[in-house]
Amino acid sequence: MLNSLFVLNAQGKIIIEKHWRGVIPRQVVDKFNDQVVTFLAKPVYTPYTGRSLEDGSATSAQQRNGDLLVQRFALEDLPPVIDTPHYQFLNVQRGGLIWLSPVESEVEPQMIFEFIHRIIDVVQEYLGDVSEMSIRDNFVIVYQLLEEMMDYGYPLTTETSVLKEVIPPPTVYNKVYSTVSAAAGVGQKLPSGTLSSIPWRKLGIKYANNEIYFDVVEEVDAILEKNGSIISAEAHGTLNVNCRLSGMPDLSMTFINPRVIDDVSFHPCVRYQKYVSDKVLSFVPPDGHFKLMTYRVNLPSGQLIPLQVRPQVTATKNGGKFEVVVTPRPTEGKAIEHLVVTISMGKACTGVNASCSMGDHFYDSTNKTLRWEVGKVDIRGRPPTLSGSFSSSVDALDNPLSITLGFQINMYAVSGLKVDSLKIYHEGYKPYKGVRSLTRAGKFQVRT
Amino acid sequence: MSDAKYFQRGKIQELRAELNSDKKDSKHVRKKTVMKKIVANMTMGNDMSPLFPDIINVMNVPVLEIKKMVYLYLINYARNRPEMAMMAVTTFTKDVEDPNPLIRALSIRTMGYIQVDKVIQSLLEPLRHCLRDQDPYVRKTAAISVAKLYIYDRVLVEQEGFLDMLRDLLGDPNPTVVGNAIAALTEISERSENVQLKLNMSIASKLVAALNECSEWAQTYILEALMYCVPQESADAVMLAERIVPRLQHANSAVVLTSIKVIIYLMNYMDSPEDISSLSKKLTPPLVTLLSSGPEVQYVALRNILIIIQKRPEVLKNEMKVFFCKYNDPIYVKLAKLEIMFRLANPKNIDQVLNEVKEYAAEVDVDFVRKAVRCIGRLAVKIEAAAERCISALLELIQTKVNYVVQEAIVVIRDIFRKYPNRYESIIGTLCEYLDNLDEPEAKAAMIWIIGQYADRIENADELLEDFCYTFLEDPQEVQLALLTAVVKLFIKRPSAGEELVPKVLKWATEESDNPDLRDRGYIYWRLLSTDPAAAKAIMSDKPDISTESDNMDPMLLEELLLHIGSLASIYHKSPTTFLHHYKPRYLIPSPALQRQIPTTPRAEVRENPTDAMNGYNPYMSDFNQQPSFPVDLVNQADPQQNQQDISDPDFLIDFMLQSPFTRVNTFPYHLLYPHVNNFSLQQLIVTLTKSILRPKVLLTFLALTIVLFDLDDSEEEEWEDPGGFEAMEEE
Repeated sequence: MLNSLFVLNAQGKIIIEKHWRGVIPRQVVDKFNDQVVTFLAKPVYTPYTGRSLEDGSATSAQQRNGDLLVQRFALEDLPPVIDTPHYQFLNVQRGGLIWLSPVESEVEPQMIFEFIHRIIDVVQEYLGDVSEMSIRDNFVIVYQLLEEMMDYGYPLTTETSVLKEVIPPPTVYNKVYSTVSAAAGVGQKLPSGTLSSIPWRKLGIKYANNEIYFDVVEEVDAILEKNGSIISAEAHGTLNVNCRLSGMPDLSMTFINPRVIDDVSFHPCVRYQKYVSDKVLSFVPPDGHFKLMTYRVNLPSGQLIPLQVRPQVTATKNGGKFEVVVTPRPTEGKAIEHLVVTISMGKACTGVNASCSMGDHFYDSTNKTLRWEVGKVDIRGRPPTLSGSFSSSVDALDNPLSITLGFQINMYAVSGLKVDSLKIYHEGYKPYKGVRSLTRAGKFQVRT
Repeated sequence: MSDAKYFQRGKIQELRAELNSDKKDSKHVRKKTVMKKIVANMTMGNDMSPLFPDIINVMNVPVLEIKKMVYLYLINYARNRPEMAMMAVTTFTKDVEDPNPLIRALSIRTMGYIQVDKVIQSLLEPLRHCLRDQDPYVRKTAAISVAKLYIYDRVLVEQEGFLDMLRDLLGDPNPTVVGNAIAALTEISERSENVQLKLNMSIASKLVAALNECSEWAQTYILEALMYCVPQESADAVMLAERIVPRLQHANSAVVLTSIKVIIYLMNYMDSPEDISSLSKKLTPPLVTLLSSGPEVQYVALRNILIIIQKRPEVLKNEMKVFFCKYNDPIYVKLAKLEIMFRLANPKNIDQVLNEVKEYAAEVDVDFVRKAVRCIGRLAVKIEAAAERCISALLELIQTKVNYVVQEAIVVIRDIFRKYPNRYESIIGTLCEYLDNLDEPEAKAAMIWIIGQYADRIENADELLEDFCYTFLEDPQEVQLALLTAVVKLFIKRPSAGEELVPKVLKWATEESDNPDLRDRGYIYWRLLSTDPAAAKAIMSDKPDISTESDNMDPMLLEELLLHIGSLASIYHKSPTTFLHHYKPRYLIPSPALQRQIPTTPRAEVRENPTDAMNGYNPYMSDFNQQPSFPVDLVNQADPQQNQQDISDPDFLIDFMLQSPFTRVNTFPYHLLYPHVNNFSLQQLIVTLTKSILRPKVLLTFLALTIVLFDLDDSEEEEWEDPGGFEAMEEE
């Protein structure tokens, strides 16, 4: 159970705190910050200094290899669960904020993480962005949300649609409305959705135009070997829905090829048994935006990866040369857009010289990364190429480059999943139905 | 218009004046603004409690938003101002009867937070009403309030019969109410000594039926509560598990993980292997899917997978690829994945794993690289068929000359040498090229061990050891001990080569060093060599076999952790009792259906992981830490008759050992001493003996044992418990 929640900025200062079970003193945050400082200051590798420190000279081995690589962790490397004598610190980092929950008793961290993620999603939905500024600007709303979403450590209402009935989002309209009619007394009624057997949908929704949109978004996670062969590749798909339908429609959706899906998880509204027996998604949708299902597809054959990348790195004296060629693969005639290739040059890199056949490239000397913004790639044209050389203070081969890719392909689902039909029951109208798909890179990595 | 302006430091007087202002405020806009300011100040930690009486007046304002803020204020300050809190009670009791269920629920909820005796007293009656309220929203809020009340005053809750009322709520027509009632009961049961939640099959199946319709969080409560259901028949367990299976497809990872926990728990009560394996197959996809969530969820999933595959390896045996590390995974995810890859490795997939791990060994992340190198060594020890390939992989890595890689590789090569003696000595030459680069104690000690062990094969062993000796006095203890032993070994194997070094090192160890361990070991070797050089050969005796078995978790701990999947314990891989103060342990409760799986290799000692503050990040991975298992008979003269004697008599034990300590120690019938333990660790015996160290016989035995142990495993040195009474002995 969640005792308390502190929202900290990146400097570890409290932005907001909320206690559901007795107050945990703020000093606990200092303890957490101490842990963070110790963690960040902890050198991952310190050469053995038993003797060298005393007489002030480095040992012969260090002098020869010059690898005084004292690397330190970044904040992202902080483990989500930290064990200290009195408190267990569970923390979630998102957008420069740390959501910290110190606990003293056995809890289910998964539940706490899930809940914190949910809070972040809800705040995002309410405020449009989750940052120190936005929380400070709307702290009363955030506070009310925290109060409403949890009672005594037990999650209470976490459905945005229901919350919005209890706590109006800070829209201009609501602000005007609340100033004008704040005295309407206890106007709010009991949120109807909280306890019906369909808690995600309230009664009496009405739209002039009934429409429903489906967005299939697939992210490709892949690791490619330097020769182009695939070490692992899978697609994580999400089916996002924007539902603007009146009444209580009961929807039934089929796919042309549901077999491609390896594993799937559903929004609570989906009738699971129906899916197991007939591979049909049958559900009463929540109102507005929601995530209907997420699924995972293994991409075993190389044909399915939309891009082929062949990096070549050769070591020279004090550095190396590299060449990266990106070859697009057929993607049902859809172009690959927003292609970005990011090369981590390794910590020892001192400089980069590069030229590319398409797009622009920038070298960020603080992060030691080379960013190549290719843009739109046409399968018929010549494959875009980036080549150049870099200098490095250590042997190039000890410090391999790592390449990550970003791209996006509109109206294309890499898994091949396609919506076949959508039927509506219980309501007489004929809604407008739209389906879009999008494939983009998730963690797409190429080794060199 | 933003709320940020409310964060200006408000002066109490000003706020009070605003609150009580007589200005026209028919729409309560002004009051709302002041309340916002007060709440803002409260969150900044400014003390707003002097405003208490004024706030009480505001309580009656019939605007929900203001009411909420007032309640927020009361929760914060009422406990420190009990006399003031009483003033709020009248309003509370009025609100509890409000026609609006939202207000009824809100007031009962708030009263539960104000844990002041008198408020609690006046809460009892309304709470009883609310538990039977016609509105389910009020009922479910009231259920949670019972749990709040219980933590405040257990006796009161039991006396007033609230537990029975909660029990009645389990039959409530509304599934969410059922979920909250069971959550309250579970919490009460976990905190109480005399209340224990037990579910029979009929209640359990009612709960499972409610699963399909209640909110995701209520689902986790119900699933959690199912851990208290003890199936009496195998069929019940299977039926229950099958009905939970659909939950594995839930979008909420907490629901998924809790379902997995319950299913794995229920497997203990199933007698048919087919049922178990068909259920195991269903666990695979959801576990893999958890790995595509955010890093926190991923981390929890990985740590739990590590537990699950030790009990049910079939669940993920074909899923190696999903554990391959991505370049930008956070380090804690990478390390957890690496450990799982090691566990899943088998002769079939070893090539795939080895290629992958070699890739990691070339990454930039130093900590990860070290773990990868170490993993290669462990793979060699685990899978004999792959040892050759692992060795060549390690040699390749050594060629890169990256200092920390070389050192790490040497440490694991020592382990490989121990596991497969006299097989890969050909590479010693290569290793010797890197002697001068070694600057980490562990690597240095490993190299010295190798030289000492193979002193008869390495031509210039004496020169090499002599080189190390130059820095003997400055070296850390680990290196000194290794060097001392290695030099003695050299002397035993090639007396001519070692005769110069031995006296020098022994003299240093005994006279120059102020480290008692080193000094004592020096003395023992010295006396041994001077009185009975033949007995000194014991130093060269066969080493206990090492295996990666010892990396496995203690079976008892594993069973315990399996009951705690998804909890903090499952992340630390420690029993909850070791890091929590208030904790009610869980056991597998016997029933006719319980399949007792007798752990195959019970171990005397629960492996403790080194606990540092960042334990969550680097648990369990780091050390080899072999338990000596003494399969070796040194001289093979144990008299079977003697084993029959009364082992409980300590004098017999000691006499038995004293007959010839160096040969007897390995045949010592320690397994008779503790019949329930097969693998009794000698070290523990010594610790036991030290307790009566002042008896001369015991002292001698102790010394005899230590001599042999010294060379058994240096890495275990840290684990020695402080032998009590040691100081006293020295003074005598």
